[in-house]
Amino acid sequence: MGRRRAEQARAGAAGALPDAVAALSRTLPAGPSPETFRRAKFDRPEAAPPLWRTLFLVLSPLPGDCAPAPEAPPAPPALEAQVRLVKRALRSQGYPRRALAQLPEDGARGSRELLLALAWLLARGPLLERLLGRTRVRLGDEVALCQCEAPASPGPPAACGGADGPVDIRHLQWLMGKLRLQWRNLMTSQQEHCALLGKIHSYTRGCHSDRSLGHLSVAETEMLRDPEGGRQLLRRLESENARLEAALAWRRRELVFWQWMDTVLGACPLEAAQPPFLPRIPESGADQLEMVAQQLQALHEELQGAVEPRRAAWEARVGGLGSEWSALQRATQEAVGQELAALRRAWEQGGAPAQPHGSCRLVKSDARASGGPGLRAAEVIGELRSREACLEAVLRQLQSQCRQELARLAAALPGLIWILPPGH
Amino acid sequence: MLPAGCSRRLVAELRDALDACAERQRRLERSLRACRRLLRPWEAAELPAAEPTPAPETQEEAPSPACTPSPQDLKELELLTQTLEKAVRVRKSMSKAAERHKALSLKSGSTAPSPATAASAPSRVSGQAGRRASETKPLRGIHQTRIPAEGLPECRLPSAGDHTCKGRGALATKPGPGLGDQLPLAAPPAPEAFTLKEKGVLLKLPTAYRKAASQNSRLWTQLSSMQTSDSVDAATNAKTQFLQKMKMASGWPGSGLSAAEVEAEAGLLWKACSLLRQRMEEELSADCADWVQEYHCLLTLEGLQAITGQCLHRLQELRAEMVGQQLGPWPEGRCPRASGSCEGRTDPTWSSQLLLYSSTVELQTLAALRLRVAMLEQQIHLEKVLMAELLPLVSTPEAQGPPPLALCRAMHSLVCEGGERFLTILRDEPAS
Repeated sequence: MGRRRAEQARAGAAGALPDAVAALSRTLPAGPSPETFRRAKFDRPEAAPPLWRTLFLVLSPLPGDCAPAPEAPPAPPALEAQVRLVKRALRSQGYPRRALAQLPEDGARGSRELLLALAWLLARGPLLERLLGRTRVRLGDEVALCQCEAPASPGPPAACGGADGPVDIRHLQWLMGKLRLQWRNLMTSQQEHCALLGKIHSYTRGCHSDRSLGHLSVAETEMLRDPEGGRQLLRRLESENARLEAALAWRRRELVFWQWMDTVLGACPLEAAQPPFLPRIPESGADQLEMVAQQLQALHEELQGAVEPRRAAWEARVGGLGSEWSALQRATQEAVGQELAALRRAWEQGGAPAQPHGSCRLVKSDARASGGPGLRAAEVIGELRSREACLEAVLRQLQSQCRQELARLAAALPGLIWILPPGH
Repeated sequence: MLPAGCSRRLVAELRDALDACAERQRRLERSLRACRRLLRPWEAAELPAAEPTPAPETQEEAPSPACTPSPQDLKELELLTQTLEKAVRVRKSMSKAAERHKALSLKSGSTAPSPATAASAPSRVSGQAGRRASETKPLRGIHQTRIPAEGLPECRLPSAGDHTCKGRGALATKPGPGLGDQLPLAAPPAPEAFTLKEKGVLLKLPTAYRKAASQNSRLWTQLSSMQTSDSVDAATNAKTQFLQKMKMASGWPGSGLSAAEVEAEAGLLWKACSLLRQRMEEELSADCADWVQEYHCLLTLEGLQAITGQCLHRLQELRAEMVGQQLGPWPEGRCPRASGSCEGRTDPTWSSQLLLYSSTVELQTLAALRLRVAMLEQQIHLEKVLMAELLPLVSTPEAQGPPPLALCRAMHSLVCEGGERFLTILRDEPAS
């Protein structure tokens, strides 16, 4: 701690800023050189393309390479595509400055704005750590406990993925069936994979230098089988170590960077409050908010339909009650108030307690020791089962809601008998 | 047929789901291939790393100046013979695994190139091998062959050495069928074959790797601990101030919610909706014995209505925020979906924890449950989308009369049964 304070006290010294910027540029993927940073402060045009590229790499979703030896990364798209993606991504993160949106698409200028955007991203959260975590060299057999790293549809958003015209509903049924089949295949492959992992782990028992791990992982065994691959792994590991050290150096020195960024922001002209544009009608349909809106609206109407007659009936009756009525009335009101408050808490608190997060390295161990570090598979299984039950309940509830809706429809069509499938 | 806009959106969603599933499958297959490769017999790890070069290169003769005199040739032949001999032994020991490869017509070059362990083979087959050796020059299938062996010394042969070293990487368990006919059977199973099963415990990680790995984990721990201890640091204050200034310096009226935050709130509202609905159904189905209970029921329903109204209000605010974000010169287009709800969590752990399992069955259960949870989440998302798109088609009063029955039936199966079961609709003709 004392060393840090001393370093920060020296932060005003001339050498600290270049060090900080150098550390930052070593940590960022395709980090722009310190010279680029300096030029960006003065809004020099030649600093813009490298900053666009850096922002693009920072903001684009990771091309899903979990392979121990990733294939050559796809060539980065042209500058215009990078510019568009950066703008969209910043918008969806809530970036406040409009000036960035107005920068030209050929990426020729605006380096100061880009520098501000980069600083904004850095300030908002542990960006560097997150980036490093995404590309982390996985030495063990990793199991992801949450769905963070779940593969989304790869590549650019499938704007062309939809059909071109009206489709028959049977096409949808076919797609659903295909999906179910794919999941089943996935499950089988997964089981096989686990069996093989179990074998590899038991065959290499006792080989690892780290006693707490005890056996080798697939990546480590592969490294021994294929020395060239092993050397590549080592190189990646060493370069990651270099980036980690740069990140640590950055963390120690970053105060002076923020002081400098204040001056950069000060050099920018103030943005005038723009007159609002005409709102574009957002595309209705499968948007999350729209769906919830529909549901809430329907619920509201149903409640209204239930409340009004009851209230009317109650008002008609209330004359015939005695004096002990007001005490009971208050008591009931309080009770209802508390129940509803508990109901609110049930969803506002975000539901389930902190689920296990991140990815874990699998270790096969016969030890019954409950004191060692790490999660136990049995606990995780328990949590997963309860999560499964929860999700199944949600799904069933949605389906029964649909069933009621369609039953209402069926009642309106006379002369037909609806025979539900077995199981209901 | 479904309307065009609805079709487009639904097909896009289903295709997205299929793509995500396919991506998982691809990754899994990659891992499976790696595991299978490890469990098969290996080539020797200690060999000098000559990369498996593509076939044309291995054909190059690399005529070294020492190649021409015939005593040299004889020596090479003998070594090649020994190599072939060993190859036969190895092949025989793995003939069970290699049954299916008999059909492959690999040339004799399939077993030639291996640095010979001079001590091993008696030259029983020198005559045959001589013929074989002359055919080994066009080493066509070389990179498909494998001779597992341990502790092989360096390449000794100067000229054929080029072949052998290049071919080292090219090994396989597929024996040439031609060899089997001509060479006598080798009796003992090859002791040099390295399988993980038998010899796995002998493996040892290289020192350089161990150092790098331990440094790596040390640096990660340092980084995480530095992150968490940051709470009242001067740097954190500076950052907060900077963000404030950015916000004030921009002409932006909005509260700056990110799309991920809006999605998270939408998720909470979904949950609210289902809880409220559940409660409503409970109240509506309960029988009220006396007027106290009736009053209770009435107040509860009114309270639910009020809360629903508040949720709707919050929704309008979020909607306005989203529309506001789309204002201005920002470019169109769907943004890449924020990767799940975990991005916003405050305390992600970057250093890998350990997950201890005790048996394969346990691991399989864990993995199966994980997949099932992922599948259920996807199913719930699709269910919501289908509900939102399809139900309005039948519930809004249509001008052209009741909806076609086929549509109702298909819809019922999709939204109520997950596409797995179908209901039957019978026409009930009144007896007349």
